[in-house]
Amino acid sequence: MTAALAISSSPRRRWRLPGTATGWFTGWFLVIWIGVVVLPLLIISAFSFFSMRQYQIVYIPTLDTWNSLVETGRWVVVLRTIRFAVSVTFLEILVAFPFALWLAKGCRSDAVRAGVITLLTIPFFIDASSRIIVWRSILGTNGVINNLLVGSGIIDKPLTWLLYSDFSVSFGMFGSYFPTAVFPIFLTLSLIDDDLIKASSDLGGSRLQTLRFVILPLAMPGIVGGIVFTFVPLMAAWIEPQLLGGSQVNLLGQSIQSALTNLNYPIAAALSTVVIAVLVLMLAMLVVSLRGRFKISSLFQSLDS
Amino acid sequence: MPTEDSSMSGISRRSFLKTTAAGVAFAGSSLGFAGLGFAQGTTLRAYGVTTAQMDDPSLITKATGIKLEFTPTDADIGVFMRDALANNIGETHDIMIFDGGTQDILGPRGFYAEIDEKNPALELWDRTPDFWKKSDISVFKGKSYGVPILGNCDAFAYFPDAIGANPNGLDQISYSVLYEDDRTRGRVALDRVFSQSLACMANFLKVNGRLKIEDPANLTPEQAKAVVDYAVERKKAGTFRTVHNSFEEQMQLIQNREVDVLECWEPAVKEAEKTMKNKAPVYSYAVEGGKKWGHGAYIPKQALDRGNGDAIYKVLNYFLGGEFRAYQARDRSYAGPNMNLGVEYAEKAGWSADQIEALRATDKKISRKMANPNAFWAKPTAPNADAMEQEWQRFLSA
Repeated sequence: MTAALAISSSPRRRWRLPGTATGWFTGWFLVIWIGVVVLPLLIISAFSFFSMRQYQIVYIPTLDTWNSLVETGRWVVVLRTIRFAVSVTFLEILVAFPFALWLAKGCRSDAVRAGVITLLTIPFFIDASSRIIVWRSILGTNGVINNLLVGSGIIDKPLTWLLYSDFSVSFGMFGSYFPTAVFPIFLTLSLIDDDLIKASSDLGGSRLQTLRFVILPLAMPGIVGGIVFTFVPLMAAWIEPQLLGGSQVNLLGQSIQSALTNLNYPIAAALSTVVIAVLVLMLAMLVVSLRGRFKISSLFQSLDS
Repeated sequence: MPTEDSSMSGISRRSFLKTTAAGVAFAGSSLGFAGLGFAQGTTLRAYGVTTAQMDDPSLITKATGIKLEFTPTDADIGVFMRDALANNIGETHDIMIFDGGTQDILGPRGFYAEIDEKNPALELWDRTPDFWKKSDISVFKGKSYGVPILGNCDAFAYFPDAIGANPNGLDQISYSVLYEDDRTRGRVALDRVFSQSLACMANFLKVNGRLKIEDPANLTPEQAKAVVDYAVERKKAGTFRTVHNSFEEQMQLIQNREVDVLECWEPAVKEAEKTMKNKAPVYSYAVEGGKKWGHGAYIPKQALDRGNGDAIYKVLNYFLGGEFRAYQARDRSYAGPNMNLGVEYAEKAGWSADQIEALRATDKKISRKMANPNAFWAKPTAPNADAMEQEWQRFLSA
């Protein structure tokens, strides 16, 4: 049947219609994905090669927009955003792994586990701005923490770096993206058979050896998932830097927002292209660094094993 | 986004719609639906900044017989221009209200209609002072595109104790308390909007003879660079605590006393007075004047094509009248043209002596600020806005 449905008779390559349901589904998925995701991204990138004049796009190809990214220091914002995304993702995974390990294997009470998962989720029922802006009253120079520290005589004058600083932005981001780091790791750890851990111990493996040679390799799909689900949104985060960074921390999301406010689509398009390029590059680096030790495709195998 | 050509094609489309609508109206009236046109004329739709919205819109209906449905937008020029240019909001709305300056682009391109100054419904136009009706709110190249409805001169708020100023708020305070005063270093908040912050900083440098600048609201790329060089230097000296992005943020900075001086809207101070009483900050009379701005009400051309002209002019006339003036001054501390009519209205409506005196005080205060020769008119659609925005990013990124 597949031979009969061939739509091209090229001697070198013969395009055939899919012969299975999976093949059809994959084909349709690719068509929709290209139409809904890839094509708009290409159009966005194309806009970065035009310019604006008096709120109108001038459809003459130019590199002016890209040159201006360098001249106006927006490239510094790109580097700063990468720095924040990498460092916060690193911290998230560092804290999320032991936390998820305790939740999946250490916590013996189903009720406590359910309670902790609920507590992690509840704050996200309210809008991000409302959730973040509360911290300004806590971290400000006249906020709760400074009042407590000054009132108890620990410090003489309020700490100004608690708010509108790298610290406050990282802190806000850490809270916002902690669940996205924890949940993938928790899921893969939950799927590890307890007998494997017991077997390692029975064979004389120390706790550290069991962690290193049994748990970590099996948890790797969750860790990689946690990295991806944390790093990607961090590259576009703008609420935390906007509300907790003041004028001190300007990241890509805000820069794009500012360009859009002025209806400067080419700049916004160029910055969005940079975000996508950085994400692709970083994910490629992740895949390369894990080559030989871990297959990205195994991210999804543990779920059906 | 329409170009000159595409806007022409937009007019063709409108002409087609107009012809079609006329045909339908004729058919409707032939069939006995004569009331249809009247019903459409008594409900108008306005699109614009929320500051121009009446807290109680039924007052407009009582005064004019016209129901005004308001679609709010914020002060984001990009959103407004997108809706005007790309989304052709004139197809659905009859009045557009925004900062003066949009007429410089939307007027010549055919999106706004010229104001018919002799329209019988616009009876208050002739007695409206030229200061307002010939201002940058209304006019572009000699043609009136908008009716000025309110305005103010924005500067900054300060806590008098932080800079040793008289708490009565009548002192003239220099912008140097925002940029160069050791007493406020690290306790200053700027507005994130470059057409406010960058322009006011440029005006400070201009008035004090440090830079040669013709129009602080429309800086050339070289001027913008020079001003931002100064801003970056001050930022690195630790002058600024934060930049804020919204009215709510202004309020929080004041209420928490996170800063001692901040660029903000006057209503933020008015709100703070309600809870902080005499501990509230004072809105400044700036030595360097500040940024004069005003909202205008503009008519999308399509609205006239729909035959809504008479009703629209009736509402525009209401905006020039005493009731609108009195409520805007009472609720938001904003003045506007024909402030004396506001006082007259309040007296006739039986407002308290305090409220009437407050109206007079608002008029006096804004007249004083507007009269400062150092003050400059805002230009939200400045021809050099792109260059200014690019440079402002350099400040934010530093």
